[in-house]
Amino acid sequence: MAMDSGTGEQSHRAHRSRHSGASAKKKAKDKNKDQNSDQKQQNPKAFAFRSNAKAKRLQSRAVEKEQRRLHLPVMDRSYGELPPFVVVVQGPPQVGKSLLIKTLVKHYTKHNLPEVRGPITIVSGKQRRLQFVECPNDINGMIDAAKFADLALLLIDGSYGFEMETFEFLNILQVHGFPKVMGVLTHLDKFKDVKKLKKTKQRLKHRFWTEIYDGAKLFYLSGLIHGKYPKREIHNLARFISVMKFPPLSWRTSHPYILIDRFEDVTPPERVQMNNKCDRNVTLYGYLRGCNLKKGTKVHIAGVGDFSLAGVTGLTDPCPLPSAAKKKGLRDKEKLFYAPMSGLGDLLYDKDAVYININDHLVQYSKVDEMGGTTHKGNKWDVGEALVKSLQNIKNPIDEKLEKSKISLFSQNPNNSLEAEGRKMDSDEAPKLIRDIEPLVRYQSDGEEDDSEFDEESADSDMDDSKSSDQDEGVQEDATQKSEGRNFDEGNADASERLGRVMEQVEFHSGRKRRKAIFGDGVDHRNLKGTDEENEGDKHDEDDEDGSGEGTESCSGSEFSDGDNEDLKSDDDGMGNISKWRASLVERASKKQNINLMQLVYGKSSSTSNASVNEVQDDSENEESDDDEFFKPKGQKAKNLKEGLDGENINTEDCSKSTNFSELKNWKEEEVYESVRDRFTTGDWSKGALRNQMLEARTEEDDQDGDFEDVETGDKFGSHKEDDSSNGGIRKEDDDATEERRLKKLALRAKFDSHYDGSEAPEEETDIQHGGKFHRSQENDSGYYDKLKEEIELQKQINIAELEDLDETTRLEIEGFRTGMYLRLEVHDVPFEMIEYFDPCHPILVGGIGLGEENVGYMQTRLKRHRWHKKVLKARDPIIVSIGWRRYQTTPVYAIEDQNGRHRMLKYTPEHMHCLAMFWGPLAPPKTGVLAVQSLSNNQAGFRIIATAYILEFNHAARIVKKIKLVGYPCKIFKKTALIKDMFTSDLEVARFEGAAIRTVSGIRGQVKKAAKEEIGNLPKRKGGQPREGIARCSFEDRILMSDIVFLRAWTQVEVPQFYNPLTTSLQPREKTWQGMKTVAELRREHNLAVPVNKDSLYKPIERKQRKFNPLVIPKALQADLPFESKPKNIPHRKRPLLEDRRAVVMEPHERKVHALVQHLQLIRNDKMKKRKLKEEQKRKEVETQRAKDEQVLRKRRREERQERYREQDKLKKKMRRHAEG
Amino acid sequence: MGKITYTKLKGSQNMRQRLLLATLKSTPILIEDIHADDTLPGLRPHEISLLHLFEKLTDDCVVEINETGTKLKYKPGIIVGGSNMVHDCGLTRAIGYFLEPLILLGLFSRKPLAIILKGITNDSKDPSVDTFRSTTFPMLKHFGVPSEGLKLEIKSRGVSPHGGGEVHLSIPNVQQLTATMWTDEGMVKRIRGEAFTTRVSPQLGNEMIYAARGIFNSLLPDVYIASDYRKRLETGSGNSPGYGISLVAETTSGCCISADTTISYTRGEEAEDIEGEDKKEMIPAADVGERIASVLLEEIEKGGVVDSTHQGLLFLLCALCPKDVSKVRVGKLSPYGIETLRQIKDLLDVQFVIKPDPSTGTVILKCWGSGMKNLSRKTT
Repeated sequence: MAMDSGTGEQSHRAHRSRHSGASAKKKAKDKNKDQNSDQKQQNPKAFAFRSNAKAKRLQSRAVEKEQRRLHLPVMDRSYGELPPFVVVVQGPPQVGKSLLIKTLVKHYTKHNLPEVRGPITIVSGKQRRLQFVECPNDINGMIDAAKFADLALLLIDGSYGFEMETFEFLNILQVHGFPKVMGVLTHLDKFKDVKKLKKTKQRLKHRFWTEIYDGAKLFYLSGLIHGKYPKREIHNLARFISVMKFPPLSWRTSHPYILIDRFEDVTPPERVQMNNKCDRNVTLYGYLRGCNLKKGTKVHIAGVGDFSLAGVTGLTDPCPLPSAAKKKGLRDKEKLFYAPMSGLGDLLYDKDAVYININDHLVQYSKVDEMGGTTHKGNKWDVGEALVKSLQNIKNPIDEKLEKSKISLFSQNPNNSLEAEGRKMDSDEAPKLIRDIEPLVRYQSDGEEDDSEFDEESADSDMDDSKSSDQDEGVQEDATQKSEGRNFDEGNADASERLGRVMEQVEFHSGRKRRKAIFGDGVDHRNLKGTDEENEGDKHDEDDEDGSGEGTESCSGSEFSDGDNEDLKSDDDGMGNISKWRASLVERASKKQNINLMQLVYGKSSSTSNASVNEVQDDSENEESDDDEFFKPKGQKAKNLKEGLDGENINTEDCSKSTNFSELKNWKEEEVYESVRDRFTTGDWSKGALRNQMLEARTEEDDQDGDFEDVETGDKFGSHKEDDSSNGGIRKEDDDATEERRLKKLALRAKFDSHYDGSEAPEEETDIQHGGKFHRSQENDSGYYDKLKEEIELQKQINIAELEDLDETTRLEIEGFRTGMYLRLEVHDVPFEMIEYFDPCHPILVGGIGLGEENVGYMQTRLKRHRWHKKVLKARDPIIVSIGWRRYQTTPVYAIEDQNGRHRMLKYTPEHMHCLAMFWGPLAPPKTGVLAVQSLSNNQAGFRIIATAYILEFNHAARIVKKIKLVGYPCKIFKKTALIKDMFTSDLEVARFEGAAIRTVSGIRGQVKKAAKEEIGNLPKRKGGQPREGIARCSFEDRILMSDIVFLRAWTQVEVPQFYNPLTTSLQPREKTWQGMKTVAELRREHNLAVPVNKDSLYKPIERKQRKFNPLVIPKALQADLPFESKPKNIPHRKRPLLEDRRAVVMEPHERKVHALVQHLQLIRNDKMKKRKLKEEQKRKEVETQRAKDEQVLRKRRREERQERYREQDKLKKKMRRHAEG
Repeated sequence: MGKITYTKLKGSQNMRQRLLLATLKSTPILIEDIHADDTLPGLRPHEISLLHLFEKLTDDCVVEINETGTKLKYKPGIIVGGSNMVHDCGLTRAIGYFLEPLILLGLFSRKPLAIILKGITNDSKDPSVDTFRSTTFPMLKHFGVPSEGLKLEIKSRGVSPHGGGEVHLSIPNVQQLTATMWTDEGMVKRIRGEAFTTRVSPQLGNEMIYAARGIFNSLLPDVYIASDYRKRLETGSGNSPGYGISLVAETTSGCCISADTTISYTRGEEAEDIEGEDKKEMIPAADVGERIASVLLEEIEKGGVVDSTHQGLLFLLCALCPKDVSKVRVGKLSPYGIETLRQIKDLLDVQFVIKPDPSTGTVILKCWGSGMKNLSRKTT
């Protein structure tokens, strides 16, 4: 994208379509096909929509798809030059990673790279630089590489197929924001069979597509020619890389990070000699990426730990983009590359030395000098001198630094960059420097008293403000102050005259504080102007002559001040802070005038803040100072402590309101209230409007005039108030200028927009360029999305515009180092192992830590076990997670959210579901991706990534619960109340559970009432037995049985272990596997222990005894009350039958006759019935046989009929057909 | 793991900002020498109350105070917020003292904040609750805070000696603020205000209003000052008598400039310390009205998009923006504003570019936001 913006004007060569050859034929065929398809559509109506509902549905679906395509626009906050894009080349071992890098480097720079170690920066185009990094073959290296990759080239052995590494890396990439990915198939020359090759390619491509997205680019490298990949294919690959766009990734745009391409140990050799294992000081070099880096930021060095930066300096770009002159392509001279760890470029980097390689790369030096020539205009060197200079530029500082660092360290200056001092102390330039410093020192000495006075006074003045003891003067004071302020802004009247005036005022207002404070600065400033201007000049000259990377203004600011500070310190040790503060004042005063107010606000506080920082850093020093304080008079102590702030002030009341009723003007008077007339709508609107426009106009002027040296501007400011009308013309001009600038800005923006979307119509763009339309937002805000984009773009333009106004030093303080800068970070107290086991093949990643990310706490994540990992994960088994820049081992507890929002603990992760995982560790902001692995060893067969997750929220307290069942047994049962034992262990515990719901196994519900009284529950006590605690009286909805078991179901908090263990993989040999806490299973395996089994948990065949029920007993009283029907009537069995039963019956003769007759009659009747039945049976059978016969006949007849009918039909049909044919 | 490095600070000055910034940035701080040289050393009651308030709003924050109360260790927790909270602000400082940090805490809390504050609603030292409603809330709009959730109800007014006021405050939470370019101060188009009396004759209120209007009459016709007279306890009068007035000037560009004051009996012990306070009681209502109108005019004369009272809050809001440039214009920097700028630099590492604009006597401040985000809000 950047490329295009540069060459926007130039016309491209038109595309020539082929008229012959294979592609032309193919195209013709396609055309034919299209036409055919058009013809085929016979029934166009069939495809027109018929249903309203369906059309609506289709439409809504289309809209939804459209919306899903959109992403929330992210603001790209990189304002500086783009840093080189990192191309990570990844693949399983022996797949050709280094060879690919070598061939690519050769393609870009025409240099042969003997060995690929560390990042290799090259200039690939006019607007683009690339940094190639080979991804190490262990999981740690892969995780780190995924965090800084802008483009990942996945190398795949075509002859073998995909390997797990590729998929692991893809997963890692996805978790840490998905950068661009391109697959490269190698080893394709191993296929002899063309068809097989084609099929394999197809298969691999489709597999690749399922993993990323359909149409993902997979590149084929067909084989080796002279041990290198074919030139044509590499050329194509390079072209693909050069047109690639890199979308911003949310984690990276919010965190600064640096991929280290140079690394040095700057510990004083003495210290190392004394103790080989002492903590080291290291410097790290690399391009700043992501977002701006402020000086106070803490950083995380991947695999080492968190450190605060001891120093940050911006260096000149070692591999700069070619100058922006308009020309096609890159010249050979501009094809730079930089790879200090690989032993190429201009430096050979070794663990403890730097070798300069001259003979091979003269080209580059001369180039550098050319660059230098363009930048330092007026210095005309001849070639030889330039060469020497350029050699000095690059090399000297480094080895010098190595030497000098110890010197400066012994002089005990913990927080500054060593180089600057180093250079200043440098032998040959020393006299000059001393001369330069002299005036400063002199100034310092006489400024001393001034300063202290001024501090007190300013403090007093603050107090005055609040108390307003001298209100009468207040107004005047203000007025005069203003005028003086204006004078400052002029800042250009000749020095001597003003000096006189100032002195006068100082004398005159000996009692007046604030003014003097300002003038104190003014004096500073003025004195310096004479002296320091030369100094500046000299220094800049020196810098230029040195021309070292540190020479530019951007970094010289800080170094400069520090350097001065150091110098002054030697004069007066006790006033270290003052001198520092002063130095920064001096330095700033020379920069620009209107930062005066900033000095007022921050100049003082900077000393205090430094003090606090120092205190934090080392307590011992602090104590010392305390001791000192102890013997000092109180007032003095206070003064010394808070140079800037007044001593008594530290306990001032915290009031935002500071109105003084006593110094009010009389607003009833006309001239008084007329003075604010223009601030009201009733006043002069044009004047009111001018008030607001003034600012822009002024800044414009400032920009144009640049320095305050200009006499005219000052005059102008002076006359502003007196006659506005005379300045009207000027202001109008200014307005025009601003208008013009706005125009330009808008045009740029439009261009940018159209470029990004590609959807905007070109006419519009031209319109805007003509200045026809300003309000694009109103013109074509087709939706919310566009509006959002617009807003973001506007904000960005505003930011750029506002930051442009500032000078370099202030900007650095305000926004920090910009992205794309080449930085040198100094880190102190790094474990020596980092040096000892440093391996350039494992690039170091330094990531900035955001707000609140250094704190530790519980994080709740939404986690899913990876479906390729074979086992489920067990709670509290240590896993290694990678979040943000960090990698650490932690012990998660898994949970799932119940419907009522409760987080229920899980012993194992669910099989195919997301679950919650809670663990302890350094906090990361919500929505950050998390990747988990179990062990880091390389010789694992399976898939190493065990789970992926993202952070939901963080707390200080874990809120996971698990179910607990308390079991008890009744020991005494009343009616519906029972005393339950064994459920609780103490009466206190019972009290805790009062009112809790309980249940028996049979389902009778109840409630815990209270701890049982001892007398009832524990009879033995009365009998002298031991009283038993923890018996609870419970009431149930029904009477329970003694055989019932009573449960109390409750939830108990689960503790999440407060454990995390940062992975210190950079502090040990790379081939060794990092070993942290082991899982339980691993420990068991090691110690040969069996899995403990709870016998009660084993399943056994269930034996159920036949249950014997007691007979139902109805109480007598109850029985008596029952009605007769309900009374039990089962008369008990008697042993002896009743008398009635036992008695024999003797019939009378008549009776006997009757009885016999009845019997006979019944017999006859029975016989008759039997006969009738038989007859009926026979009859039925006859009928059935008859019916069956009939049926058969009927069926036969029917069939014949049917046959006849079919025959006739057939005939008819045949006739018809014949007819038709005939 | 267990080692905590504290940022060391001294003195009780700017306790509010220090605690607030430490909480937002979640850095532990250690404050020493709190009123160490006073006859009554240690934390003041309102400072303790403030700490209680912070404890209430955050989760797992640790406050350690040494025996004399001169040393304070504060380890912030996560800002939780939530509703149904009650805080008694005590009688040493007004509710306005607590509101300033509370607003920012509420914006960056996990759940929207709804809290009942009890104590002194109007005071001469701190901005009154009326000012918060009329000036501070519109100010937040410039930083992208939705105005729906912002609410401040005055249930009852309490003035100095015995308090008894109650306000219901609710603040929405935001993901992040938005940077603002707020330099157009506009022209004053109307003046609004509210005069109140509690347990005194409403006539005093009318006098104040009349007097204040008298000052503005020559400048602007659109002046309307509402009256809020509470005589009895049932109408929300609080426990002590007093009267006061707060005025707001609204400009064409949507800036609000306010001034307020309250007259009431002071507490017995304070009266001994400060003689000025006694005098204040003598001020008749008409004078109060005139004075406060004059104060407002002075604030307007100073220029800037906010009045001097709100400078601190304005700077804090700018510093808490995402990593974009904010630009604001204020009148003369107030001492409180300067202190706030220093605290912001010390604790948040955000520095402002301060440019005077001599032609208007205003100051333009620019800053690059700290990139603060509400991290405690749960993602779905």
